[in-house]
Amino acid sequence: MLVLSRQRDESIIIGDNVVVTIVDIRGDKVRLGIQAPQEIPVHRREVYEAIQRENLHASQLDRKDVSDLRDLSPPRGPLKR
Amino acid sequence: MEVNTSRFGSIHVDAEDLIRFPAGILGLEDCRDWVLLKDAQNDAVAWLQSAQRPKIALPVVSPRRFVPNYHIRVAQAELESLDLEDVRTAQVVVIAGRTDRTITLNLKAPLVINMARRLGRQVVTNGDLPVRYELAGSPLAWKKSA
Repeated sequence: MLVLSRQRDESIIIGDNVVVTIVDIRGDKVRLGIQAPQEIPVHRREVYEAIQRENLHASQLDRKDVSDLRDLSPPRGPLKR
Repeated sequence: MEVNTSRFGSIHVDAEDLIRFPAGILGLEDCRDWVLLKDAQNDAVAWLQSAQRPKIALPVVSPRRFVPNYHIRVAQAELESLDLEDVRTAQVVVIAGRTDRTITLNLKAPLVINMARRLGRQVVTNGDLPVRYELAGSPLAWKKSA
């Protein structure tokens, strides 16, 4: 892993088109600003990993695995506003 | 094009049927083109079928059918790539999962689709929505938790 030190308002560039800027530093929390093209998703790591696992799991499901959904819809009563 | 899907057999897909996810979805970044299929045996679910990978399809549902007060907060930057004229016209579906006990919904990372432009994106919402929201095991249990 490349380790660099940066102060507030300083940046690093990854590849040609990803820029990471230190926006703020408060105590043990660092606020990062990220500029990247829309095709490059940027996420907190732990959230990314949870969603990735869930997507991969869902992509393997069969039609029978979700047949319960028919019964899990709430009963359609009169519209409540 | 023909897609020889594992769940639905061979289907014919025209270019205008495809929904483009420029970033794919997390874990499936190479799956950029999808087609939305109804499930004739189950009107509560639709399937987002990958055009690139015939074995890959995601069961998706309309979230408000199961979570009536579902509301998402999304960073503006996440929605820009969808070219939405009006954010309120976006279609939002959530991906279903399953545990031993019950079906779950990924409320944290819904799929937002601009149907008019055939563009989609999996967005990561702000706040504490669960990646695995459990749907109650029976209609009676659902009423209790409402």
